Amino acid sequence: MAEVRINSVSKLFGEVKAVDNFNAVIRDGEFVSILGPSGCGKTTMLRMIAGFEKPSLGEIYIGEQLVSSAAKSLFVPPEKRNIGMVFQSYAVWPHMTVFDNVAYPLKIKGYSKNDIKSKTDKALELVHLDGYAARIPSQLSGGQQQRVALARALVSEPKLLLLDEPLSNLDAKLRESMRFEIKDLQKKLKITVIYVTHDQGEAMAMSDRIVVMNKGVIQQIGTPTDVYETPANRIIADFIGLVNFLPGEIKDGMATIPGLGLSLAAPEVPAGAATVAIRPENITIGRAGGRLSGTLVHKFYLGDAVDWRVEAGGFILRVIDKGMEHDDYRLGDTVSLDIKKYLVFPGQP
Amino acid sequence: MINRARLMSLDAKWAVIIVAVSVLVVFTVIPMLYLIFRSMLVDGALDLTTYREVYSNLVNWKAFINTFKISLIVTLLSVIISFPLAWLVGRTDLPGKGFFRTVFIASYMIPPYVGAIAWTQLLNPNAGYLNEWLVHTFNLASSPFDIYGMGGLIWCLTLFHSPFAFITISRALEKMDPSLEEASRVSGASPLRTLWNVTLPLMFPSIFAGGVLVFIGVGSAFGIPAIVGMPAQIEVLTTRIVTYVYLGTGKGIKDATALAVSLMLAANFILYASTWLIAGKDYVTIGGKSTRPGLVELGVWKWPLFGLVSLYGLFAVFLPLGSIVVTSLIKSLSRPIALDNLSFATWLAALKNDQYMEPLWNSFVAAAITATLATVIALFIAYLLIKTKVSGRTLPDSLSTLGGATPSIVIALALIITFSGEFGLNLYSTLAILVIGYMVKYLTMAVRTIAASLSQVHPSLEEAALNSGASWLRSLKDIMLPLIAPSIVAGWFLVFMPSFYELTMSIILYGAKTKTIGVLLYELQTYADPQDASVLAVIVLLIVLIGNIILRKVSKGAVGI
Repeated sequence: MAEVRINSVSKLFGEVKAVDNFNAVIRDGEFVSILGPSGCGKTTMLRMIAGFEKPSLGEIYIGEQLVSSAAKSLFVPPEKRNIGMVFQSYAVWPHMTVFDNVAYPLKIKGYSKNDIKSKTDKALELVHLDGYAARIPSQLSGGQQQRVALARALVSEPKLLLLDEPLSNLDAKLRESMRFEIKDLQKKLKITVIYVTHDQGEAMAMSDRIVVMNKGVIQQIGTPTDVYETPANRIIADFIGLVNFLPGEIKDGMATIPGLGLSLAAPEVPAGAATVAIRPENITIGRAGGRLSGTLVHKFYLGDAVDWRVEAGGFILRVIDKGMEHDDYRLGDTVSLDIKKYLVFPGQP
Repeated sequence: MINRARLMSLDAKWAVIIVAVSVLVVFTVIPMLYLIFRSMLVDGALDLTTYREVYSNLVNWKAFINTFKISLIVTLLSVIISFPLAWLVGRTDLPGKGFFRTVFIASYMIPPYVGAIAWTQLLNPNAGYLNEWLVHTFNLASSPFDIYGMGGLIWCLTLFHSPFAFITISRALEKMDPSLEEASRVSGASPLRTLWNVTLPLMFPSIFAGGVLVFIGVGSAFGIPAIVGMPAQIEVLTTRIVTYVYLGTGKGIKDATALAVSLMLAANFILYASTWLIAGKDYVTIGGKSTRPGLVELGVWKWPLFGLVSLYGLFAVFLPLGSIVVTSLIKSLSRPIALDNLSFATWLAALKNDQYMEPLWNSFVAAAITATLATVIALFIAYLLIKTKVSGRTLPDSLSTLGGATPSIVIALALIITFSGEFGLNLYSTLAILVIGYMVKYLTMAVRTIAASLSQVHPSLEEAALNSGASWLRSLKDIMLPLIAPSIVAGWFLVFMPSFYELTMSIILYGAKTKTIGVLLYELQTYADPQDASVLAVIVLLIVLIGNIILRKVSKGAVGI
């Protein structure tokens, strides 16, 4: 029902291309995040789906309905798109009670008094705000206000829910628990969700698929595992998770890193300059038997892990280890490093 | 070391409080209290006979009623015009909205009496430009409009006082988080329904505040009622007060004080009651990232609304300014406006006329002295208010606000009766009494501007200076002043400009050698010398325009009024 199809959508603000040729199909009931640094065009894309911005080029379908087409000069205003939306600033109306805020979409759509009451109560229960109906928003915490916004977005049972960085104004603990709550709601209601965020942790934890954007252009669309394990390019590898970049050279399908005495198989990368990317958790530290040897130069104790800096062949490698008996190792020790996984991208770092 | 520095800074702070408070007490509180006292005293005993006598005179009673009636009508009209204007300019795809916004905000700097002079040129029943044009175009038998009358009075007051409502409302609209409106749109509400259900209720406190500003401004206005109302025998409290003062008798002054106290109490009551009414209702909304608000598309209404807004701009700004400029250049008023009927002759004569240049210079000097003194005092008051925890730190600020809220005519009268030698200080007819009057009235403008800027400076910046061993005054000079310099310049101009073209206080405070440009313009208008009046009005407008350009440059558009 509420599949969202975005065909070659671009948005220009004057000379600036905020969104450049965006193509994606978001399936019915799917949770898709649009992830990218600030200014990458993700919010503009979401606002085009909502109907707050007009695409300069391309078409957007929500379900079977064409809601926006630059070529046909067709544009359905936001109030006729039947979607729910949650804003970064909550946008809870301060002059209305919690009940009136949540009931507003139903009132606009002309539901009967009884229906409004029962649907609003149900929505408030869904977000665990039963008992708060008569409060005014200024009496609520940020997290509670965001729940009101969520209830308001869900109350008229839209097929599509848009969330624009909904958790970024909350404190870290609350942000973490709200992730799971939103995900649970989505599963329960089987609603299509498009979620905009710059927080990779949020995107990874909640999404079925992630659209990674940079400078208005889609870099990769894939599952969280795809995006993390096999990033399509260096930009994504750098943006999502931590990574050591090492300059290498491809010859006969092998990547060698001069100075490190390491060569790694890279059959699909064309010959010439290359970048070897190794995530810190994919390097293990041992006493012997590894492929490389290095010296421990810094140690940062993180509680659940140790973040090491290891000097090897003139490079400083970052190594995060969660399992080892770090007390056995001292700064200055010569250690043996092994590499579990790596990626090779064409071009210098 | 640190202890000594802190002790000294405390001393300096106390000295500043004492100086600021005593200046304000001597020039604001005492004169006003004395005014009330004098109005209620007959032969050394408390007696309200003066009030009974004054208000038993039907003219005064009518003036009192007129003041309220006119203020109320103008306030309602201003709000009814300003809210849609602010919304059209801020939230829709109205063509040329940026231009309109600048024009409507800038129109606050047209001195109201200059606006009135312009409209008497446009719509006087004998040879008003606009009347003539209408008679010609539509073949009318006689002039369709007469500016002298209740209609003309309300027309001029609305055009030249509503910018204050427009500025208040459009500022608030710009500060409002647009996602509050967008949330209503995705909930299924049309743009108009969103305007009604969300924008209007959220804006209500600001609309109300803007309305109160207009109400008090109109109630205290002298220029427009004197130029447009008095010729039609329409009197308001301010015109009655000036008439009584001009009688020059003890009885006249006494009657004037009774009227002035009525006006002052009414104005302050309305201001404080309204502040209390909307206290806590000024919704603070958490701003998200600064997304540009989605613009409402006006569709088929786009061009009709553009026409309406343009027409308003024409009436409020372009026609009056054009009329003044043309009148200043015209050779013969009895001949039609044409290129061969224009010359700089009036200009050249006026610029050589010492009787004109002297008041211009007086106003310039008085305004510059006022602005400089006010900025220095405002700096200390704002510092106390924002940067210290000293008890009583809000007192100087409240006193300056009180001065700003008091009708100009009341301040002027209070100063005259207090400083005419009764208490050993005779400032009658001096430049000093003008400067004091302007300062009492406009000090709050500088305080507001500088306080806003000071609150942006993080306390640690100053603490770091004190920590490095600087004294309080030293840290003020080295750290604070450079950081808030733009607001100091802005504050200076915000006091300078209204002082420069001030009329209401000057008309009863000026002396033979201290005539101001406002008074001169008023005289020229009443003695029917529209051409010289126009030349001087254009000069005033140019100086104010230059001041505003500098103001916008230094404050980067953040401060306009």
